[in-house]
Amino acid sequence: MSNPSRINQPRSEPFFDGFTRAMLGAMVVFLLAIFASASYMGHHKMEAAGTDDKVNNLATTVSHGEHHPFIDLPGDSQLGAFSIANFFVGIIVGYQWLRLFGKPKEGQ
Amino acid sequence: MHIEDGILSLGACAAWYGACAALVGPGIVQIRRKAQENLSYKPFLAMVGVAVFVISAMHLPVPVTGSCSHPCGTPLAAILVGPWAMTVISAIVLFFQAIFLGHGGITTIGANTFSMGIAGGLSGYALWKILRGMHAPLWLAAGAAGLVGDLVTYLVSALELALSLHGNVPLVKQWMIFFMGYGPTQLPLAVVEAIFTAVVLQAMASRRPDLLPGVLTGAHAQKGA
Repeated sequence: MSNPSRINQPRSEPFFDGFTRAMLGAMVVFLLAIFASASYMGHHKMEAAGTDDKVNNLATTVSHGEHHPFIDLPGDSQLGAFSIANFFVGIIVGYQWLRLFGKPKEGQ
Repeated sequence: MHIEDGILSLGACAAWYGACAALVGPGIVQIRRKAQENLSYKPFLAMVGVAVFVISAMHLPVPVTGSCSHPCGTPLAAILVGPWAMTVISAIVLFFQAIFLGHGGITTIGANTFSMGIAGGLSGYALWKILRGMHAPLWLAAGAAGLVGDLVTYLVSALELALSLHGNVPLVKQWMIFFMGYGPTQLPLAVVEAIFTAVVLQAMASRRPDLLPGVLTGAHAQKGA
């Protein structure tokens, strides 16, 4: 994998090297494509809904039963749950970092 | 392909969980073996998991059909970390998407993992191996894997719905009805996923072949050695 000696050396390359420029260029192209597509769809009164939702709704009409999340949290409480879980899992993963990713001791 | 709760029957959900578990088991074994061989495998696996999480939640607008959909990222991940390990990643990704983003159901994690991680990942990986075995260029094998893996994911997802819901309608007809809900939007995105998979693998092979032990053969592998 990555060469540790290379990591420890001070980097002489400029910040905007070829890789960074390529990534920024790709990001700009994707964003322009999304904005152009969204603008076109908005202009033509298209819904731009997700196909997953469309097919799930289609399946609901076939199954004659409403679908809803197994666990449903209203409003921003979902964001709260996501943040709380991330916070504590992040602490646990950080605490256990060497156990998870460290080199095993001799005999283990 | 994120089927939500309440659409499939509980029996179907349990069956897909079972089918999924039978294939996730070898994935756990593969991860343990590779992690013992290579200390960097687990962090790499985690990063690939993050990539799959983001890619498979990245809704892109398709103006031709006026709707949005997302690529899967599983064919690329299957090539990078191994096809069985990919099934484990996929199950974890879909679990977190269901729990925290409401993207896909909890009872349908088995069905969604089967379509995206197993069918999509394995079909893409199989095509990659076949084409590389026939000495196809890296970009072509990777691109074909991305294209086919993406489309197979949605074909299997539509089949899962049809199997549960076709009733008196012929299975194939119902299958195609569901697939036509995905297909027109997904086809351009499958092409995007093909290009993305080809570009990422080509870039990794050129710049960081050391991250692809056992993946590259021939000239690319010699460059990384």
